[in-house]
Amino acid sequence: MADPYQLLGVSREATQDDIRKAYRRLAKNNHPDLHPGDKGAEARFKEIASAYDIVGDEKKRVRFDSGEIDASGTERSQPPEREFYRQHAEAPQGFKYERRSNGTGHDDSDLFAELFGARSQRAKARGPDVSYTFAVEFTEAINGAKKRVVMADGKTLDVTIPAGLKDGQTLRLRGQGHPGFGGAEPGDTLVEIHVKPHPIFRREGNNIRSMLPVTIGEAMAGAKVQVETVTGPVQLVVPNGSNTGTVLRLRGKGVLSKGVTGDHLIELQVFLPDQPDNVLVQSITEWEAKHAYDPRKKQGAQT
Amino acid sequence: MISERELIDAIERLEADALRRWIDLGWVLPEQDSDSLCFDPSDVARVRLICELHYELRIEEDSMSVVLSLMDQLYAARRSLRELVSAVETQPEKVRAHIAALVKAKQ
Repeated sequence: MADPYQLLGVSREATQDDIRKAYRRLAKNNHPDLHPGDKGAEARFKEIASAYDIVGDEKKRVRFDSGEIDASGTERSQPPEREFYRQHAEAPQGFKYERRSNGTGHDDSDLFAELFGARSQRAKARGPDVSYTFAVEFTEAINGAKKRVVMADGKTLDVTIPAGLKDGQTLRLRGQGHPGFGGAEPGDTLVEIHVKPHPIFRREGNNIRSMLPVTIGEAMAGAKVQVETVTGPVQLVVPNGSNTGTVLRLRGKGVLSKGVTGDHLIELQVFLPDQPDNVLVQSITEWEAKHAYDPRKKQGAQT
Repeated sequence: MISERELIDAIERLEADALRRWIDLGWVLPEQDSDSLCFDPSDVARVRLICELHYELRIEEDSMSVVLSLMDQLYAARRSLRELVSAVETQPEKVRAHIAALVKAKQ
């Protein structure tokens, strides 16, 4: 038990009036019933009360000063245990005095009326949005798809990928975010979608572009070859006299977007056989000796 | 439950006139049992508190009304908050974590 003068923050020479004032100030600031959230208040208040019990009483103070009684207040008149009002106010029966607390017939606090969607227009707030990202296959983005995806946080989303979706586009799933406050509408779920690259197809606006390897013979004499498009294989006519860099257009085989469908552009690449045999080499060499041509001149003319 | 007489005997400094006045002001709400008054343990603790505030801390009648009104509102708010917390506690872990994060962000 600490020194009662020290506890009350007064000197040993303080007047009874000073002690009383110090006690009142401390008691108001530490009274547990006035500070229900402060767990330490009760212990502090009891210390202050027993200190005041000794030095607040002039006769006891004299006996304490002369060493007749010690700081634990051997002759304390106050019962050691007391009940504070807050124990009752915080217990289930405590609502009795809450009803009188605002005079107008206390209901629940206004806060709750808002939380549970009463008519109040105040404190309404749309719920927060939730954001996710995920990736789809190239052809799913072109043709559209319905996807069920499990997000990093375990949430499962049903997402409809619209045909023609672009890389990095954000879809808004209305009302699938966090709930609103005060009866307001929920937030949205925002899904940013990345499109995985495709080994053959490349997207250029609403057109699809791809390279098509052809043989020397196919390029020179023309041919019918099967090519892949985003909507499946089609037969493509390679006209005779085609070359590397020749671009063939498959109309309407590109990306459908806003009612318009782009084209699929196919760029030919003439490939020599992996291992040209002597017959081919000899005949080409002989042919070139008579019909010299300079493909680099053409390249130079273009620049 | 104790009677008015028992209450006055139990609390040093408490006088019958003062108690009647506090009941009239609505500071204390005993139960009316035929023609006598009954005080439950929370009434007793409340009367003891009012005595302490009035006789020791020198809070006068006008101020006392304010103090008690604020105190009752504080306990009402704490009770509501506790009800809300226990409602939140019944929610799935994810919802609780989300609410906790939102509350933390506001503080």
